Amino acid sequence: MRHRLRDPVTGLLFVLPVLVLFLIFRIFPSLAAAGMSLTNWNIGGEWNFVGADNYARLLDDAIFWTSLRVTLVYVAVYVPLTLLVSLGTALLLNQVVFLRGLFRGMLFLPYVTSFVLAGVIWRWIYQFDGLINGVLGKAGLGPVAFLEQSSLVLPALAVVSAWKGFGYSMLILLAGLKAIPGSYLEAARVDGASAWQRFRRITLPLLKPALFFVLVIETISAFQTFDTVYVMTGGGPARATYTLIYGIYDHGFRSFDFGYAATWGMVLFALVLIVSLIQRRFLDRGNT
Amino acid sequence: MTRTRRGWPLIALLGVLSVLTVSPFAAMLVVALSPAGEPTLPAQWPDSLTLDNLTRVLSASGFVGWTVNSLVYAVVSVVIILLTASMAGYAFAKKRFPGRQAMFWTFLATMMVPFQATLIPTFVLVNSLDGVDTFWGLIVPTLANSQAVFLMRQFILGLPDELFDAAKVDGASELRVYWTIVVPLTRPVLATLGVFVFLWHWNDFLWPLVVGQSNATRTLTVGLTTLRTEEIQLSVLMASAAVSVVPCLLVFFLLQRYLVNSIAMTGLK
Repeated sequence: MRHRLRDPVTGLLFVLPVLVLFLIFRIFPSLAAAGMSLTNWNIGGEWNFVGADNYARLLDDAIFWTSLRVTLVYVAVYVPLTLLVSLGTALLLNQVVFLRGLFRGMLFLPYVTSFVLAGVIWRWIYQFDGLINGVLGKAGLGPVAFLEQSSLVLPALAVVSAWKGFGYSMLILLAGLKAIPGSYLEAARVDGASAWQRFRRITLPLLKPALFFVLVIETISAFQTFDTVYVMTGGGPARATYTLIYGIYDHGFRSFDFGYAATWGMVLFALVLIVSLIQRRFLDRGNT
Repeated sequence: MTRTRRGWPLIALLGVLSVLTVSPFAAMLVVALSPAGEPTLPAQWPDSLTLDNLTRVLSASGFVGWTVNSLVYAVVSVVIILLTASMAGYAFAKKRFPGRQAMFWTFLATMMVPFQATLIPTFVLVNSLDGVDTFWGLIVPTLANSQAVFLMRQFILGLPDELFDAAKVDGASELRVYWTIVVPLTRPVLATLGVFVFLWHWNDFLWPLVVGQSNATRTLTVGLTTLRTEEIQLSVLMASAAVSVVPCLLVFFLLQRYLVNSIAMTGLK
């Protein structure tokens, strides 16, 4: 067949634009990140090879350990919170028929907006003369310094991100719930299983793949938190919200210490890679 | 399925959660419509509402410039990503060429490298090409989108080979096959992808923050963060925020059903 011969050429031509973009802007920077972390690259573009100096500096850097702790605590607060809210709303949406489309739309609405917008609105909601303290004041309580107190600020930020993001996970879980055959639940009901037993023994096990997907996606997105921190706290108070990405930004674009900032980037890459590898392991096990 | 009288508490609970979820937007809107400098939420409901803040925001040159920049950033990215990703998806799905598998898996592997981890080298690269504070510097590095290529490839893989063979037997050129068969048949997935790419770019922050350093290329998200309540009134800030969300709301109201279904099917985020 004559046209089979033109396949290799046209195939390559069709891939070419994407190939060039990827080589220059994804693959080269990925390799360059590892290379730069071994240099003292600065704003002027001057650099020397410094071996593992940046990594040694990282291990000695109290700010780095603070940042790692802040990021992990944030993940530990944000992920369960988002999972709980998205699972709860998905279960409710799966039960309720009345006005379901409207409710689903209202719950999903924040997802289409930006984290910056969420940050701008919630900065006001949290402040001393803001919405929450206004309501608390009417009840004779507060004011509460949500964003100025080290112990409250991370949960406060996690609430903002969960509010903005849970709609996505809710829809994934809702699709998972809809895929569970009604006959299973009906049969269990006939056999006298309580609502909790049906949830625990049928719904939850069958929902596991969707829950796992949501867990991984939300964990990775929690590691990458930046926008809300930049808008609402600037990493403070006293670095209580100094996440890894904020550290990359701060070292790169405030101190112009590019080599060291790239080293922070490698840590982020390693963390996301670990999460992805754990995901693969579990998925492989699920397939066999 | 039994939806019994026990349903009412659940409906009430769902209703409360839904109202709570949209209440920050409602509060933003009330403040945005309050006369500047007059008492409003949370102390009290405003005595009167006005469009003054919105018109003031829309006549501020900075704000309008940021909006235009955001539109350019989002729309140009949508067009180029849809074009390049559908071409590459077609080639990966239906063409045999050397290195195809290796290339495809490399694309997939780059999904595991978060953009933020390569932020510094990408910036240094763009800076060395004099791309900082230019539109190409803002847009081009974001066009390498592996999710888009992957989605297009998966979708085109499901189209029957006979369609393409028949067209070629009829003597259609490769570009013609792409334009008259691939593009029309992938329209639903192109639309879905287009909506997501638009939202990703309209809402994007970190890359525009470091590259768009002056008002010439500054986008709306970055511009919003430069507005501080120490300098402008809260009602003006909230009016700016409200205007910035309009395109997202348009997408939401026009395409909600589409968006909702595609998330479950494609896992796009």
